[in-house]
Amino acid sequence: MRRDVFQAIADPNRRAIIGLLANQKLTLSGVAEHFDISRPAISRHIKILAECGLVVVHRKGRERYCEARLDKLNEVSGWVEHYRKVWEQRLDRLDEYLTELQKKERDHGEN
Amino acid sequence: MAKINVVAERGKQEIVITRVFDAPRELVWKAWIDPEHFQRWWGPKDYTCPFCQMDLRVGGKYLNCMRSPEGQDFWSTGVYREIVPLERIVYTDCFADAEGNVVPATHYGMSADFPLETLVTVTFEDSEGKTKMTLKHIGIPAGQMKELAGAGWNESFDKLAESLK
Repeated sequence: MRRDVFQAIADPNRRAIIGLLANQKLTLSGVAEHFDISRPAISRHIKILAECGLVVVHRKGRERYCEARLDKLNEVSGWVEHYRKVWEQRLDRLDEYLTELQKKERDHGEN
Repeated sequence: MAKINVVAERGKQEIVITRVFDAPRELVWKAWIDPEHFQRWWGPKDYTCPFCQMDLRVGGKYLNCMRSPEGQDFWSTGVYREIVPLERIVYTDCFADAEGNVVPATHYGMSADFPLETLVTVTFEDSEGKTKMTLKHIGIPAGQMKELAGAGWNESFDKLAESLK
């Protein structure tokens, strides 16, 4: 199974967990308290987030502390920057093409 | 579920572009779904689109090629998820080879962090005699999203979870 930051943020619960941990370090139970879903389900989400590099889990005695690593999210913006540029340029072309197409139609209509 | 705002900056995980074209909606729609029209604009300035094939139906595939001024070809493929004539088109977008096989971004020398499959949604609306087009491109692997949201977590995930208990 592919593990990357995109998979991490594909799930709304995981996005919420990242949001929660961005502000504070929390234990697993501390995270679970904020959600209606089961503790094992939270564990699964945390595990995936850890594998994607977005969360680090420290063990301290019997507790597990979860901490967010948000710099990993920058990977996403690299992709976004690339595509945004490509799209803007394509849409400029589309704009020109539509203008050209309508001009042709108009000229044709006048003849 | 508790209402918690995601801190990750909005707009960094997705692209949303709105454009108003001075053309009727029928024409803008046609420019997107008719290969002949599509090939005339698909690609940045000085790029060409030497190949475009569209099986325009939900579940149908497309394959197209964007050629750089230096002659490098960038093939892309995907599947139509939703088609509402003149209103909305949703499709997945992947890098491909000339045979239409999905390839990672590294195939084209781009970052391995690029998602394998992305989702593009284009909507068309009338706007004061012009056409407002909104494009949304998200880097969430659509296939995996379906997998995760579908039949629930598979056994391997359950096993992974065990180690966290």
